[in-house]
Amino acid sequence: MRNAVAPRPVRSPTQAPGAGIGLRLPHLAEVATDAPPVSWLEIHPENFLANPHSRELLAQIAMNYPISLHTVGISIGSADGIDRIHLRRLKVLADDLDPFLVSGHLAWSSVGGRYLNDLLPIPYDAASLQLVASHLDEVQQVLGRAYLVENPASYVGFGHSTMSEIEFLSELVDRTACKLLCDISNLYISGVNMGFDPYDYVDAFPADAVAALHLGGFTAEADAGHGGEILIDTHDNAISDAVWSLYEHALGKFGPKPTLIEWDQALPDLSTLLSEAEHADRIAGRIDEERELHAVAG
Amino acid sequence: MPTASPAGSTKNASFMPSLAETQSAIADAVLAGDPRLAPPALIGGHDPRARFGIHIRHYQTSLRRALCEKFPATAWLLGSNFVSAAAAAYARECPPAAPCIAEYGSTFPAFVARLESARLMPYVESFALLEWALGHAAIAVDESAVGWEEFAGMEPARLLDTHLELQAGVDYLRATHPVDDLVRVFLSGEEPVSLELPRTDTLIEVRGSRGSFSMNRLDAGTFAFRTALASGKAIGAAAGGALDVDHAFDAGRALRDLIGRKLVVSIRIDER
Repeated sequence: MRNAVAPRPVRSPTQAPGAGIGLRLPHLAEVATDAPPVSWLEIHPENFLANPHSRELLAQIAMNYPISLHTVGISIGSADGIDRIHLRRLKVLADDLDPFLVSGHLAWSSVGGRYLNDLLPIPYDAASLQLVASHLDEVQQVLGRAYLVENPASYVGFGHSTMSEIEFLSELVDRTACKLLCDISNLYISGVNMGFDPYDYVDAFPADAVAALHLGGFTAEADAGHGGEILIDTHDNAISDAVWSLYEHALGKFGPKPTLIEWDQALPDLSTLLSEAEHADRIAGRIDEERELHAVAG
Repeated sequence: MPTASPAGSTKNASFMPSLAETQSAIADAVLAGDPRLAPPALIGGHDPRARFGIHIRHYQTSLRRALCEKFPATAWLLGSNFVSAAAAAYARECPPAAPCIAEYGSTFPAFVARLESARLMPYVESFALLEWALGHAAIAVDESAVGWEEFAGMEPARLLDTHLELQAGVDYLRATHPVDDLVRVFLSGEEPVSLELPRTDTLIEVRGSRGSFSMNRLDAGTFAFRTALASGKAIGAAAGGALDVDHAFDAGRALRDLIGRKLVVSIRIDER
Protein backbone atom coordinates (compact mmCIF):
# COMPACT_ATOMS: atom_id res chain seq x y z
CA MET A 1 0.00 0.00 0.00
CA ARG A 2 3.02 2.32 0.05
CA ASN A 3 2.83 5.55 -1.86
CA ALA A 4 -0.88 5.25 -2.51
CA VAL A 5 -0.78 9.03 -2.34
CA ALA A 6 2.27 10.57 -3.96
CA PRO A 7 3.85 13.46 -2.06
CA ARG A 8 3.17 16.75 -3.78
CA PRO A 9 5.09 19.96 -3.26
CA VAL A 10 3.68 22.18 -0.52
CA ARG A 11 5.04 25.21 1.25
CA SER A 12 7.25 24.16 4.14
CA PRO A 13 6.65 25.71 7.53
CA THR A 14 9.03 28.51 8.35
CA GLN A 15 10.69 28.45 11.72
CA ALA A 16 9.79 30.90 14.43
CA PRO A 17 12.31 31.08 17.21
CA GLY A 18 11.62 30.04 20.75
CA ALA A 19 8.50 29.30 22.70
CA GLY A 20 5.01 30.55 22.00
CA ILE A 21 1.76 30.44 23.92
CA GLY A 22 -1.79 29.45 23.06
CA LEU A 23 -3.89 32.57 22.57
CA ARG A 24 -7.34 31.93 24.01
CA LEU A 25 -10.31 34.29 23.82
CA PRO A 26 -10.13 35.58 27.43
CA HIS A 27 -6.60 36.91 26.73
CA LEU A 28 -7.36 38.36 23.32
CA ALA A 29 -7.99 41.98 24.29
CA GLU A 30 -5.01 42.05 26.66
CA VAL A 31 -2.65 40.72 23.99
CA ALA A 32 -4.04 43.15 21.40
CA THR A 33 -3.55 46.09 23.77
CA ASP A 34 -0.35 45.22 25.63
CA ALA A 35 1.57 43.18 23.01
CA PRO A 36 3.38 41.06 25.64
CA PRO A 37 6.88 39.76 24.91
CA VAL A 38 6.52 36.27 23.43
CA SER A 39 7.96 34.77 20.27
CA TRP A 40 4.73 33.60 18.67
CA LEU A 41 1.09 32.78 19.28
CA GLU A 42 -1.00 29.73 18.51
CA ILE A 43 -4.74 29.84 17.92
CA HIS A 44 -7.50 27.31 17.45
CA PRO A 45 -9.21 28.46 14.24
CA GLU A 46 -12.51 27.06 15.52
CA ASN A 47 -12.58 29.84 18.15
CA PHE A 48 -12.34 32.54 15.50
CA LEU A 49 -14.14 31.30 12.39
CA ALA A 50 -17.57 32.10 13.81
CA ASN A 51 -16.55 35.12 15.84
CA PRO A 52 -15.98 38.22 13.67
CA HIS A 53 -15.08 40.49 16.59
CA SER A 54 -12.36 38.12 17.81
CA ARG A 55 -11.17 37.68 14.27
CA GLU A 56 -10.81 41.42 13.88
CA LEU A 57 -8.68 41.58 17.04
CA LEU A 58 -6.68 38.60 15.84
CA ALA A 59 -5.87 40.33 12.55
CA GLN A 60 -4.53 43.24 14.57
CA ILE A 61 -2.46 40.91 16.77
CA ALA A 62 -1.12 39.03 13.75
CA MET A 63 0.63 42.19 12.62
CA ASN A 64 2.91 41.88 15.67
CA TYR A 65 3.41 38.12 16.08
CA PRO A 66 3.97 35.00 13.99
CA ILE A 67 0.77 32.96 14.22
CA SER A 68 0.32 29.21 14.27
CA LEU A 69 -3.05 27.68 13.36
CA HIS A 70 -3.78 24.54 15.32
CA THR A 71 -7.08 23.10 14.16
CA VAL A 72 -9.10 20.80 16.37
CA GLY A 73 -11.86 20.26 13.82
CA ILE A 74 -10.44 18.93 10.57
CA SER A 75 -11.04 15.30 11.62
CA ILE A 76 -8.35 13.88 9.38
CA GLY A 77 -9.10 10.30 10.43
CA SER A 78 -12.84 10.29 9.71
CA ALA A 79 -13.91 7.26 7.69
CA ASP A 80 -16.59 9.26 5.88
CA GLY A 81 -14.30 12.09 4.84
CA ILE A 82 -12.97 15.35 6.13
CA ASP A 83 -15.26 18.32 6.60
CA ARG A 84 -14.64 20.22 3.36
CA ILE A 85 -16.76 23.18 4.38
CA HIS A 86 -14.60 23.56 7.45
CA LEU A 87 -11.46 23.12 5.36
CA ARG A 88 -12.54 25.95 3.06
CA ARG A 89 -13.16 28.23 6.05
CA LEU A 90 -9.75 27.26 7.40
CA LYS A 91 -8.13 28.16 4.10
CA VAL A 92 -9.69 31.63 4.12
CA LEU A 93 -8.34 32.21 7.62
CA ALA A 94 -4.92 30.84 6.70
CA ASP A 95 -4.77 33.05 3.62
CA ASP A 96 -5.67 36.05 5.80
CA LEU A 97 -3.14 35.36 8.55
CA ASP A 98 -0.34 33.62 6.62
CA PRO A 99 0.55 31.44 9.64
CA PHE A 100 4.05 30.02 9.98
CA LEU A 101 2.58 26.68 11.07
CA VAL A 102 -0.69 24.86 10.41
CA SER A 103 -1.28 21.73 12.42
CA GLY A 104 -3.85 19.25 13.65
CA HIS A 105 -4.18 15.87 15.29
CA LEU A 106 -3.83 12.26 14.25
CA ALA A 107 -7.41 11.63 15.32
CA TRP A 108 -11.01 11.86 14.19
CA SER A 109 -14.00 13.77 15.52
CA SER A 110 -16.94 13.40 13.17
CA VAL A 111 -18.91 10.60 11.57
CA GLY A 112 -22.33 10.53 9.96
CA GLY A 113 -22.76 14.29 10.30
CA ARG A 114 -22.16 14.14 14.05
CA TYR A 115 -19.24 16.16 15.41
CA LEU A 116 -18.09 14.63 18.70
CA ASN A 117 -15.95 17.54 19.95
CA ASP A 118 -13.10 15.28 21.02
CA LEU A 119 -9.96 13.82 19.52
CA LEU A 120 -10.81 10.16 19.10
CA PRO A 121 -8.33 7.35 18.39
CA ILE A 122 -7.88 5.49 15.14
CA PRO A 123 -6.53 1.98 14.60
CA TYR A 124 -3.04 1.99 13.13
CA ASP A 125 -3.44 -0.25 10.11
CA ALA A 126 -3.21 -0.11 6.32
CA ALA A 127 -6.79 1.06 5.81
CA SER A 128 -6.43 3.95 8.25
CA LEU A 129 -3.08 4.85 6.77
CA GLN A 130 -4.44 5.08 3.25
CA LEU A 131 -7.41 7.12 4.42
CA VAL A 132 -5.44 9.57 6.55
CA ALA A 133 -2.77 9.98 3.87
CA SER A 134 -5.45 10.76 1.30
CA HIS A 135 -7.09 13.33 3.59
CA LEU A 136 -3.76 14.83 4.50
CA ASP A 137 -2.84 15.22 0.88
CA GLU A 138 -6.13 17.01 0.21
CA VAL A 139 -5.69 19.31 3.21
CA GLN A 140 -2.19 20.29 2.14
CA GLN A 141 -3.23 20.89 -1.43
CA VAL A 142 -6.20 23.03 -0.44
CA LEU A 143 -4.23 25.04 2.08
CA GLY A 144 -1.13 25.18 -0.13
CA ARG A 145 0.96 24.62 2.97
CA ALA A 146 2.61 21.77 4.83
CA TYR A 147 0.36 20.41 7.55
CA LEU A 148 1.85 19.24 10.83
CA VAL A 149 0.35 16.06 12.26
CA GLU A 150 0.36 15.78 16.05
CA ASN A 151 0.76 12.53 17.98
CA PRO A 152 -2.32 12.01 20.19
CA ALA A 153 -2.65 11.53 23.94
CA SER A 154 -3.90 7.95 24.18
CA TYR A 155 -6.11 6.29 26.75
CA VAL A 156 -7.00 3.30 24.58
CA GLY A 157 -5.75 1.67 21.39
CA PHE A 158 -7.06 -1.02 19.05
CA GLY A 159 -6.26 -4.73 19.22
CA HIS A 160 -6.28 -4.95 15.44
CA SER A 161 -3.66 -2.25 14.89
CA THR A 162 -0.89 -3.65 12.75
CA MET A 163 1.70 -0.93 13.19
CA SER A 164 2.94 1.34 15.93
CA GLU A 165 2.08 5.01 16.13
CA ILE A 166 5.59 5.93 15.07
CA GLU A 167 5.45 3.60 12.07
CA PHE A 168 2.13 5.14 11.14
CA LEU A 169 3.44 8.72 11.43
CA SER A 170 6.59 7.84 9.49
CA GLU A 171 4.52 6.39 6.67
CA LEU A 172 2.41 9.55 6.58
CA VAL A 173 5.55 11.64 6.21
CA ASP A 174 6.81 9.41 3.39
CA ARG A 175 3.53 9.45 1.52
CA THR A 176 2.46 13.06 1.90
CA ALA A 177 5.57 15.09 2.76
CA CYS A 178 3.71 16.32 5.82
CA LYS A 179 5.57 17.50 8.89
CA LEU A 180 5.14 16.31 12.45
CA LEU A 181 4.21 18.11 15.61
CA CYS A 182 5.65 16.19 18.52
CA ASP A 183 3.51 16.82 21.58
CA ILE A 184 5.87 15.97 24.42
CA SER A 185 3.09 15.89 26.99
CA ASN A 186 0.96 13.63 24.81
CA LEU A 187 3.70 11.11 24.37
CA TYR A 188 4.45 11.16 28.11
CA ILE A 189 0.74 10.65 28.82
CA SER A 190 0.47 7.87 26.23
CA GLY A 191 3.61 6.21 27.59
CA VAL A 192 2.19 6.05 31.10
CA ASN A 193 -1.29 5.05 29.93
CA MET A 194 -0.31 2.51 27.28
CA GLY A 195 2.80 1.12 28.91
CA PHE A 196 5.79 2.26 26.88
CA ASP A 197 8.87 4.31 27.65
CA PRO A 198 8.40 7.88 26.36
CA TYR A 199 12.17 8.33 26.03
CA ASP A 200 12.29 5.36 23.66
CA TYR A 201 9.39 6.94 21.74
CA VAL A 202 11.33 10.21 21.33
CA ASP A 203 14.40 8.29 20.18
CA ALA A 204 12.37 6.42 17.57
CA PHE A 205 10.40 9.47 16.40
CA PRO A 206 11.24 10.61 12.84
CA ALA A 207 13.32 13.60 13.91
CA ASP A 208 13.82 15.04 10.43
CA ALA A 209 10.09 15.63 10.07
CA VAL A 210 9.60 17.37 13.41
CA ALA A 211 8.63 21.02 12.86
CA ALA A 212 7.25 21.98 16.27
CA LEU A 213 6.79 20.77 19.84
CA HIS A 214 3.90 21.09 22.28
CA LEU A 215 3.94 21.15 26.08
CA GLY A 216 0.83 21.08 28.27
CA GLY A 217 -0.43 20.13 31.68
CA PHE A 218 -2.20 16.90 32.50
CA THR A 219 -4.26 15.49 35.36
CA ALA A 220 -3.86 12.08 37.00
CA GLU A 221 -6.85 10.07 38.12
CA ALA A 222 -7.50 6.50 39.20
CA ASP A 223 -7.48 3.99 36.36
CA ALA A 224 -10.43 1.63 36.29
CA GLY A 225 -9.93 -1.95 37.37
CA HIS A 226 -6.72 -1.64 39.35
CA GLY A 227 -4.88 0.68 41.69
CA GLY A 228 -2.89 2.53 39.07
CA GLU A 229 -3.27 6.00 37.64
CA ILE A 230 -4.24 7.22 34.22
CA LEU A 231 -3.12 10.59 32.91
CA ILE A 232 -5.67 12.85 31.22
CA ASP A 233 -4.62 15.48 28.70
CA THR A 234 -6.48 18.34 30.39
CA HIS A 235 -4.31 21.37 29.54
CA ASP A 236 -5.49 22.89 32.79
CA ASN A 237 -2.36 23.28 34.87
CA ALA A 238 1.40 23.81 34.79
CA ILE A 239 3.75 21.55 32.89
CA SER A 240 5.06 18.77 35.11
CA ASP A 241 8.72 18.19 35.94
CA ALA A 242 8.57 14.83 34.15
CA VAL A 243 7.47 16.55 30.93
CA TRP A 244 10.12 19.27 31.25
CA SER A 245 12.75 16.52 31.55
CA LEU A 246 11.39 14.75 28.50
CA TYR A 247 11.38 18.09 26.65
CA GLU A 248 15.10 18.45 27.36
CA HIS A 249 15.67 14.98 25.94
CA ALA A 250 13.57 15.79 22.88
CA LEU A 251 15.47 19.01 22.19
CA GLY A 252 18.68 17.03 22.33
CA LYS A 253 17.26 14.65 19.76
CA PHE A 254 15.36 17.06 17.49
CA GLY A 255 17.34 20.27 17.88
CA PRO A 256 15.71 23.64 18.62
CA LYS A 257 12.07 23.77 17.55
CA PRO A 258 9.21 26.22 18.00
CA THR A 259 7.60 25.09 21.25
CA LEU A 260 4.05 25.83 22.35
CA ILE A 261 2.78 26.20 25.90
CA GLU A 262 -0.77 24.81 25.77
CA TRP A 263 -3.22 25.83 28.48
CA ASP A 264 -6.91 25.65 27.57
CA GLN A 265 -8.91 25.05 30.74
CA ALA A 266 -8.76 26.89 34.08
CA LEU A 267 -6.89 29.54 32.14
CA PRO A 268 -4.44 31.46 34.34
CA ASP A 269 -3.21 35.05 33.97
CA LEU A 270 -1.28 35.75 30.82
CA SER A 271 1.85 36.24 32.95
CA THR A 272 1.75 32.57 33.99
CA LEU A 273 1.75 31.45 30.37
CA LEU A 274 4.58 33.84 29.55
CA SER A 275 6.54 32.49 32.50
CA GLU A 276 6.12 28.91 31.23
CA ALA A 277 7.30 30.03 27.78
CA GLU A 278 10.35 31.72 29.31
CA HIS A 279 11.13 28.47 31.12
CA ALA A 280 10.94 26.55 27.84
CA ASP A 281 13.26 29.14 26.24
CA ARG A 282 15.78 28.80 29.07
CA ILE A 283 15.87 25.03 28.65
CA ALA A 284 16.22 25.34 24.90
CA GLY A 285 19.02 27.87 25.34
CA ARG A 286 20.92 25.57 27.69
CA ILE A 287 20.52 22.54 25.39
CA ASP A 288 21.71 24.68 22.49
CA GLU A 289 24.79 25.80 24.43
CA GLU A 290 25.58 22.20 25.34
CA ARG A 291 25.22 21.23 21.70
CA GLU A 292 27.64 23.96 20.64
CA LEU A 293 30.12 22.95 23.35
CA HIS A 294 29.93 19.35 22.12
CA ALA A 295 30.52 20.53 18.57
CA VAL A 296 33.56 22.59 19.63
CA ALA A 297 34.94 19.78 21.79
CA GLY A 298 34.31 17.22 19.06
CA MET B 1 -1.67 -4.37 30.83
CA PRO B 2 -1.15 -4.76 27.07
CA THR B 3 2.11 -3.21 26.07
CA ALA B 4 3.26 -1.82 22.78
CA SER B 5 6.78 -0.92 21.89
CA PRO B 6 6.79 2.60 20.49
CA ALA B 7 8.80 1.53 17.48
CA GLY B 8 7.48 -2.00 17.09
CA SER B 9 4.18 -3.31 15.78
CA THR B 10 1.28 -4.59 17.80
CA LYS B 11 0.01 -8.02 16.84
CA ASN B 12 -2.68 -8.42 14.24
CA ALA B 13 -6.05 -9.53 15.55
CA SER B 14 -8.41 -11.84 13.73
CA PHE B 15 -11.41 -9.52 14.22
CA MET B 16 -11.20 -6.68 11.71
CA PRO B 17 -14.16 -4.32 11.70
CA SER B 18 -14.04 -1.62 9.06
CA LEU B 19 -12.96 1.85 10.13
CA ALA B 20 -16.47 3.14 9.39
CA GLU B 21 -18.01 0.46 11.62
CA THR B 22 -15.54 1.20 14.37
CA GLN B 23 -16.18 4.92 14.26
CA SER B 24 -19.93 4.46 14.10
CA ALA B 25 -19.82 2.26 17.23
CA ILE B 26 -17.64 4.83 19.00
CA ALA B 27 -20.02 7.65 18.08
CA ASP B 28 -22.98 5.64 19.38
CA ALA B 29 -21.16 5.03 22.66
CA VAL B 30 -20.21 8.70 23.03
CA LEU B 31 -23.71 9.98 22.30
CA ALA B 32 -25.42 7.39 24.48
CA GLY B 33 -22.95 8.12 27.26
CA ASP B 34 -22.42 4.38 27.60
CA PRO B 35 -18.84 3.02 27.34
CA ARG B 36 -20.22 -0.52 27.12
CA LEU B 37 -21.27 0.29 23.54
CA ALA B 38 -17.65 1.01 22.57
CA PRO B 39 -16.07 -1.49 20.15
CA PRO B 40 -14.67 -4.68 21.71
CA ALA B 41 -11.42 -4.15 19.82
CA LEU B 42 -10.30 -1.48 22.26
CA ILE B 43 -7.19 -2.18 24.31
CA GLY B 44 -5.51 -0.28 27.13
CA GLY B 45 -5.36 -0.87 30.88
CA HIS B 46 -7.40 -3.46 32.73
CA ASP B 47 -10.75 -2.13 31.51
CA PRO B 48 -10.41 -0.42 28.11
CA ARG B 49 -14.10 0.43 27.88
CA ALA B 50 -13.98 2.15 31.25
CA ARG B 51 -11.01 4.12 29.95
CA PHE B 52 -13.01 5.00 26.87
CA GLY B 53 -15.37 6.71 29.29
CA ILE B 54 -12.79 9.53 29.38
CA HIS B 55 -13.78 10.44 25.83
CA ILE B 56 -17.48 10.26 26.71
CA ARG B 57 -16.91 12.51 29.69
CA HIS B 58 -14.98 15.00 27.59
CA TYR B 59 -17.73 15.18 25.00
CA GLN B 60 -20.42 15.77 27.60
CA THR B 61 -18.41 18.15 29.76
CA SER B 62 -17.12 20.33 26.94
CA LEU B 63 -20.54 20.79 25.33
CA ARG B 64 -22.35 21.27 28.62
CA ARG B 65 -19.85 23.95 29.56
CA ALA B 66 -20.14 25.62 26.15
CA LEU B 67 -23.94 25.76 26.36
CA CYS B 68 -23.98 27.01 29.94
CA GLU B 69 -21.53 29.79 28.97
CA LYS B 70 -23.79 30.69 26.05
CA PHE B 71 -27.00 30.79 28.08
CA PRO B 72 -26.19 32.39 31.46
CA ALA B 73 -29.45 34.34 31.52
CA THR B 74 -31.44 31.17 30.88
CA ALA B 75 -29.53 29.53 33.74
CA TRP B 76 -30.40 32.52 35.93
CA LEU B 77 -34.06 32.10 35.01
CA LEU B 78 -34.36 28.33 35.30
CA GLY B 79 -31.52 27.49 37.67
CA SER B 80 -27.99 26.53 36.71
CA ASN B 81 -28.45 22.88 37.68
CA PHE B 82 -31.52 22.59 35.47
CA VAL B 83 -29.83 24.21 32.47
CA SER B 84 -26.69 22.13 33.03
CA ALA B 85 -28.77 18.94 33.00
CA ALA B 86 -30.69 20.19 29.96
CA ALA B 87 -27.40 20.93 28.19
CA ALA B 88 -26.17 17.39 28.89
CA ALA B 89 -29.39 15.94 27.48
CA TYR B 90 -29.20 18.25 24.47
CA ALA B 91 -25.61 17.15 23.78
CA ARG B 92 -26.78 13.53 23.75
CA GLU B 93 -29.82 14.14 21.52
CA CYS B 94 -28.58 16.95 19.30
CA PRO B 95 -24.85 16.60 18.72
CA PRO B 96 -23.00 19.35 16.88
CA ALA B 97 -22.79 18.96 13.12
CA ALA B 98 -19.66 21.09 12.70
CA PRO B 99 -16.50 21.97 14.62
CA CYS B 100 -17.18 25.61 15.50
CA ILE B 101 -18.87 25.20 18.85
CA ALA B 102 -19.71 28.92 18.85
CA GLU B 103 -22.33 27.99 16.27
CA TYR B 104 -23.72 25.11 18.33
CA GLY B 105 -26.94 25.50 20.31
CA SER B 106 -29.33 27.34 18.01
CA THR B 107 -32.08 24.83 18.81
CA PHE B 108 -31.31 24.69 22.53
CA PRO B 109 -34.02 27.28 23.35
CA ALA B 110 -36.72 25.08 21.81
CA PHE B 111 -35.22 22.00 23.47
CA VAL B 112 -35.28 23.61 26.91
CA ALA B 113 -38.81 24.89 26.43
CA ARG B 114 -40.06 21.35 25.81
CA LEU B 115 -38.75 20.09 29.16
CA GLU B 116 -41.37 19.51 31.82
CA SER B 117 -40.10 21.99 34.41
CA ALA B 118 -39.74 24.78 31.86
CA ARG B 119 -43.34 24.54 30.71
CA LEU B 120 -44.42 26.58 33.73
CA MET B 121 -42.86 29.58 32.01
CA PRO B 122 -44.39 29.79 28.54
CA TYR B 123 -41.86 32.42 27.48
CA VAL B 124 -38.73 30.33 28.09
CA GLU B 125 -38.09 29.65 24.43
CA SER B 126 -38.43 33.34 23.49
CA PHE B 127 -36.21 34.33 26.40
CA ALA B 128 -33.47 31.86 25.41
CA LEU B 129 -33.78 32.81 21.73
CA LEU B 130 -33.28 36.44 22.67
CA GLU B 131 -30.20 35.49 24.67
CA TRP B 132 -28.86 33.53 21.69
CA ALA B 133 -29.47 36.50 19.39
CA LEU B 134 -27.76 38.91 21.81
CA GLY B 135 -24.73 36.63 22.03
CA HIS B 136 -24.38 36.59 18.28
CA ALA B 137 -24.97 40.30 17.91
CA ALA B 138 -22.23 41.04 20.44
CA ILE B 139 -19.55 39.22 18.43
CA ALA B 140 -20.51 40.90 15.16
CA VAL B 141 -18.53 43.72 13.62
CA ASP B 142 -20.24 46.80 12.24
CA GLU B 143 -19.37 47.59 8.64
CA SER B 144 -19.33 51.03 7.02
CA ALA B 145 -22.93 52.12 6.59
CA VAL B 146 -24.54 53.31 3.38
CA GLY B 147 -25.50 57.00 3.43
CA TRP B 148 -28.28 58.93 1.71
CA GLU B 149 -26.00 59.82 -1.17
CA GLU B 150 -26.29 56.22 -2.42
CA PHE B 151 -29.97 56.85 -3.07
CA ALA B 152 -29.56 60.33 -4.56
CA GLY B 153 -31.27 60.70 -7.92
CA MET B 154 -32.74 57.21 -7.78
CA GLU B 155 -36.12 56.96 -9.54
CA PRO B 156 -38.94 55.84 -7.22
CA ALA B 157 -39.56 52.72 -9.29
CA ARG B 158 -35.95 51.65 -8.89
CA LEU B 159 -36.08 52.43 -5.20
CA LEU B 160 -38.93 49.96 -4.81
CA ASP B 161 -36.82 47.25 -6.45
CA THR B 162 -33.82 47.93 -4.21
CA HIS B 163 -32.63 45.34 -1.70
CA LEU B 164 -30.80 46.42 1.44
CA GLU B 165 -28.20 44.41 3.29
CA LEU B 166 -28.33 45.16 7.00
CA GLN B 167 -25.50 45.05 9.53
CA ALA B 168 -24.49 41.51 10.52
CA GLY B 169 -25.16 42.33 14.16
CA VAL B 170 -28.85 43.07 13.60
CA ASP B 171 -31.53 40.49 14.34
CA TYR B 172 -35.27 40.50 14.89
CA LEU B 173 -37.32 38.49 17.32
CA ARG B 174 -41.07 38.23 17.76
CA ALA B 175 -41.84 37.06 21.28
CA THR B 176 -45.09 36.14 22.95
CA HIS B 177 -44.07 37.90 26.17
CA PRO B 178 -41.94 40.96 27.06
CA VAL B 179 -38.82 38.86 27.52
CA ASP B 180 -36.56 41.84 26.79
CA ASP B 181 -37.69 43.37 30.09
CA LEU B 182 -36.66 40.19 31.88
CA VAL B 183 -33.28 40.14 30.14
CA ARG B 184 -32.76 43.71 31.34
CA VAL B 185 -33.45 42.59 34.90
CA PHE B 186 -30.85 39.84 34.48
CA LEU B 187 -28.32 42.30 33.10
CA SER B 188 -28.93 44.69 35.99
CA GLY B 189 -28.00 42.00 38.49
CA GLU B 190 -31.19 42.64 40.43
CA GLU B 191 -33.74 40.10 41.56
CA PRO B 192 -36.91 40.01 39.43
CA VAL B 193 -40.04 41.33 41.14
CA SER B 194 -42.03 38.62 39.39
CA LEU B 195 -41.35 35.91 36.87
CA GLU B 196 -44.91 36.07 35.60
CA LEU B 197 -45.02 38.00 32.36
CA PRO B 198 -48.18 39.18 30.61
CA ARG B 199 -48.87 37.57 27.26
CA THR B 200 -48.34 40.33 24.70
CA ASP B 201 -46.91 40.41 21.21
CA THR B 202 -43.39 41.80 21.66
CA LEU B 203 -41.35 42.88 18.64
CA ILE B 204 -37.67 43.24 19.38
CA GLU B 205 -34.72 44.45 17.37
CA VAL B 206 -31.33 43.24 18.60
CA ARG B 207 -28.26 45.13 17.58
CA GLY B 208 -24.66 44.56 18.55
CA SER B 209 -21.08 44.99 17.52
CA ARG B 210 -17.63 44.48 19.00
CA GLY B 211 -18.71 43.23 22.40
CA SER B 212 -21.71 45.43 23.06
CA PHE B 213 -25.39 45.04 22.27
CA SER B 214 -28.76 46.71 22.68
CA MET B 215 -32.44 45.81 22.40
CA ASN B 216 -35.16 48.03 20.94
CA ARG B 217 -38.90 47.54 20.81
CA LEU B 218 -40.40 48.15 17.38
CA ASP B 219 -43.95 48.91 16.28
CA ALA B 220 -45.66 46.35 14.06
CA GLY B 221 -45.11 48.21 10.77
CA THR B 222 -41.42 48.90 11.36
CA PHE B 223 -40.87 45.33 12.52
CA ALA B 224 -42.53 43.93 9.40
CA PHE B 225 -40.54 46.31 7.17
CA ARG B 226 -37.16 45.54 8.70
CA THR B 227 -37.63 41.77 9.00
CA ALA B 228 -38.72 41.66 5.36
CA LEU B 229 -35.62 43.62 4.30
CA ALA B 230 -33.43 41.39 6.46
CA SER B 231 -34.92 38.32 4.76
CA GLY B 232 -33.94 39.68 1.34
CA LYS B 233 -37.14 41.34 0.13
CA ALA B 234 -36.93 44.55 -1.89
CA ILE B 235 -37.99 47.87 -0.37
CA GLY B 236 -41.31 47.90 -2.25
CA ALA B 237 -42.33 44.43 -1.11
CA ALA B 238 -41.16 45.13 2.45
CA ALA B 239 -43.14 48.36 2.58
CA GLY B 240 -46.21 46.57 1.20
CA GLY B 241 -45.99 43.97 3.96
CA ALA B 242 -45.62 46.72 6.56
CA LEU B 243 -48.71 48.52 5.26
CA ASP B 244 -50.65 45.27 5.59
CA VAL B 245 -50.06 45.25 9.35
CA ASP B 246 -50.08 49.02 9.88
CA HIS B 247 -52.14 51.17 7.52
CA ALA B 248 -50.39 54.28 8.84
CA PHE B 249 -46.93 52.93 8.06
CA ASP B 250 -44.71 55.62 6.53
CA ALA B 251 -42.17 53.91 4.25
CA GLY B 252 -40.15 57.08 3.63
CA ARG B 253 -39.71 57.77 7.30
CA ALA B 254 -38.89 54.10 7.99
CA LEU B 255 -36.20 54.16 5.31
CA ARG B 256 -34.72 57.42 6.63
CA ASP B 257 -34.63 55.94 10.12
CA LEU B 258 -32.90 52.79 8.88
CA ILE B 259 -30.20 54.77 7.10
CA GLY B 260 -29.86 57.32 9.88
CA ARG B 261 -29.19 54.53 12.37
CA LYS B 262 -26.44 53.20 10.07
CA LEU B 263 -28.13 49.82 9.72
CA VAL B 264 -27.68 49.49 5.94
CA VAL B 265 -24.31 48.28 4.65
CA SER B 266 -25.04 47.74 0.95
CA ILE B 267 -27.75 48.12 -1.68
CA ARG B 268 -28.60 45.95 -4.67
CA ILE B 269 -31.08 46.84 -7.37
CA ASP B 270 -33.04 44.19 -9.27
CA GLU B 271 -32.42 44.41 -13.01
CA ARG B 272 -35.67 44.48 -14.93
